[in-house]
Amino acid sequence: MSAGRGVAGRRRAAVELAPQRGPQPAAAAGANAVLAAGRRFRNILTVLRFAAATGFADFGTMFTWRSWTIGWLSRVLCQVTFFALIGRLLGAPEAVRYLLIGNAVLIAVLESAFVVASTTWERRAGTLPLLIAAPTSPVLVFCGRSVQWIASGTASASVALFVLSPLFGVALPMPQALVAVPLIGLVSLSAYCLGLVLAGLVLRVMQLRNVVGNVTWMVIALLAGVQVPVTFWPAWVQAASAVLPARNGLAGIRALLDGDGVGAVCSAAGLEALVAVGWLAVAGLIFRHLAEQGRRDGSIEFVD
Amino acid sequence: MRHVHPISIRHLTRRFPPARKGGPERIALDRVSLDIHAGEVHGLLGPNGAGKTTLCKILSTVLLPTSGTATIYGFDVVTQARSVRPLIGLVFGGERGLYSRLTARQNLRYWAALYRVPRRQVTDRVETLLARLGLAERAHERVETWSRGMKQRLHLARGLIGDPKVMILDEPTAGMDPVAAREFRGLVRELRGEGRTLLITTHDMAEAEAVCDRVTLIDGGRLLRTEDPRTIGRWVSAHERVDAADVPEPILSNLESLPGVARVERLSRGAVRIHTSVEGATATVLRTLLDAGVTRVATTEPSLEEVYLHVVGNRGMRV
Amino acid sequence: MRVLLAAARLQLATFRRSPDDLMVLLTVPLFTPIFLVIAKHAGRLDLAPYAVLAPGIIAMLSMALNTSGEIIERDRWGGTFELTLATPARLPVIVLGRVATVTLASLLGIAESWLVAYLMFGIAVPVLHPGAFVLTLTATAIATAGTAVVFAAVFVWTRSARTFQNSLSYPLLLLGGALVPVALLPEPLHPISRAVYLSWAADLLRASLAPGPVSALWPRLGIVVGLGAVGYVIGFALLRWVIHRARTTGKVGYA
Repeated sequence: MSAGRGVAGRRRAAVELAPQRGPQPAAAAGANAVLAAGRRFRNILTVLRFAAATGFADFGTMFTWRSWTIGWLSRVLCQVTFFALIGRLLGAPEAVRYLLIGNAVLIAVLESAFVVASTTWERRAGTLPLLIAAPTSPVLVFCGRSVQWIASGTASASVALFVLSPLFGVALPMPQALVAVPLIGLVSLSAYCLGLVLAGLVLRVMQLRNVVGNVTWMVIALLAGVQVPVTFWPAWVQAASAVLPARNGLAGIRALLDGDGVGAVCSAAGLEALVAVGWLAVAGLIFRHLAEQGRRDGSIEFVD
Repeated sequence: MRHVHPISIRHLTRRFPPARKGGPERIALDRVSLDIHAGEVHGLLGPNGAGKTTLCKILSTVLLPTSGTATIYGFDVVTQARSVRPLIGLVFGGERGLYSRLTARQNLRYWAALYRVPRRQVTDRVETLLARLGLAERAHERVETWSRGMKQRLHLARGLIGDPKVMILDEPTAGMDPVAAREFRGLVRELRGEGRTLLITTHDMAEAEAVCDRVTLIDGGRLLRTEDPRTIGRWVSAHERVDAADVPEPILSNLESLPGVARVERLSRGAVRIHTSVEGATATVLRTLLDAGVTRVATTEPSLEEVYLHVVGNRGMRV
Repeated sequence: MRVLLAAARLQLATFRRSPDDLMVLLTVPLFTPIFLVIAKHAGRLDLAPYAVLAPGIIAMLSMALNTSGEIIERDRWGGTFELTLATPARLPVIVLGRVATVTLASLLGIAESWLVAYLMFGIAVPVLHPGAFVLTLTATAIATAGTAVVFAAVFVWTRSARTFQNSLSYPLLLLGGALVPVALLPEPLHPISRAVYLSWAADLLRASLAPGPVSALWPRLGIVVGLGAVGYVIGFALLRWVIHRARTTGKVGYA
């Protein structure tokens, strides 16, 4: 910065003054409040949209269609096959069915768990202080930032389910089995919300991001009815695992594919949605707390 | 006894394939020839992309030349690379080049093993280097926690671990604050005093002038000139100049018509530079100025920076 | 030899402080219960040896892919690769020292798996043929190190090493019969899986845990070591090529 620049060289911030208004009738005040809420909501959507665009752009640099299919999808298919084959080892066709469906849905959880790692990229990019200094809540950015995993996870899990089932002789009732896709999406979403919570916690200890992500999906694999029914576990474990993503959603998917009633499927989906909202709320609190803490203890770096 | 230069370069050329198909080939070094004398501190000056780092890489056997030869104490860097490597200490600037999760001590011990330092001497040498470079107190900490300046000193320690006769320092003071840079220059002088030969690439004019015995200007892969930094000014103008400030206008026109004055250059803020073209003209100019009551005067020679800017900016070489 | 040890020490020091590298050892105690509960729920605890062995094999392969595989690539990012080329020491020796250290560390996964099975489920899988077991583990470690050298060289070559790392793990575990013996794979895959050293090693390890004699121990060990040796040959050739490329073009890989 040369000393010769002077005041004239500095850009002036545009300052808008709200027009002065006199007291308003109640109805007009109410209408204004609604309009303001509407504007706020649209702003939230815009922020989410842009954050998501960043996330998808990141995804685009990691994968091309070819590398996603050859690189990622092949791994997914092999992973589900690995577990489904255990059913063959056990010599039990019901086990093959159980394991195949469970592990296919698990893929959606596994990919959503990447949010723990991808959230730290925001910190790495050094944009954190900029986000905090901006008027919009950084929580929104973090929420939207990694949604590409939901899309990718839902897609790969669905492909695994529908491609491998015929190969393993697992019969799926068509066309209602296709409803599994949005249900997988729901599972992916609720796993994403849990992932956001963990991402917030891990932001301070970035080197643990991969460990936490992996442990998360593996714990869900163990306890949420993926490999064995939840009833296998003692009561206290069952109670604790009730808040885990995929537990209800997977039950709903199994109910759907086993031809159980719509009621069973819907109530399971409803519970899964509840779990998602719950974790999302916790995530919001954690990020807010993180921002406040960071401002207090100076841990928000300009250059990391 | 045949005299062998520590570094001897003949018609060294390095071409890189084009970045895109059908684009031009990049010529990083173009028939560079240079001899560096024993015990000399030799500076290599040039803008980014001039070929300095490429030359360093070739001399340290990390990169092969396209054509030409380079020898270190008579050993060819291409065909006798194994004999060259123990003789060279390589020092980079910047953050990279260290195992950041390890401590300084662990880093140095590792490189000591790679440089085949005799086992019995390793501890002694590592501790001596750490002490010499002021790193001993924090040698047990992970390098990633260190400041830029300390990392730079560790780079230097690493370069010295094999007790090399020739040291190649590539932009060693990049990003250093002035105090650290000055300490570094002191170290360089010490190393020279130990009989080592140093090749330093740099942008830092003050450093080159302060430390180097000779300086080579390089641009676009071509060697422009090699010269003592103190006399390199002659390359820009053969004679002295007189700088003066607050010179009244009428005096300036007088000066222009004085015999032996080549031209009067106006600088910023009312200062002028009077270029002379004849021996002894300086005295006349000075007298004229002093008689006119101008007291802020100085006789100067072009600095390395001016030479650099003139030459690299292709603004011609002589006044 | 000295360079080998120095490289091993470097690797040990680096990886002690790297959660990503140690992560594999943290996931073993989760794989073991996953496999055991499947067996237990199906009333097939006779398959417990399979369930306890598999996480150890997964650990070895994962570390070969993720840690060993990234040795050169990390050095390249960190700026130490070129410095290494300038030293009198030879890169293949350094890589070998580092890969060997990682492989030895990954053997901890096997011990961990046994411990977790005992602590969580009270299942103590007896090693019925300890001699064969130890010999097979040794051969497997040697072969894994050889394969890891190939990974290290290849991953510095390709632009998207991470995609490869992710996409090679499960296919190799499948073809290698890490949990489910290759005999249960579809017929067409059998010849391919027989080219993977892991399939022979896993079968032998399971055999050494099973009652009844271990058939054809030495020939099978020989195949494991032989296939591993192929890994070394290819790996070192690739390393020489990487060095040559670095010195002639100034670039290390296509990245």
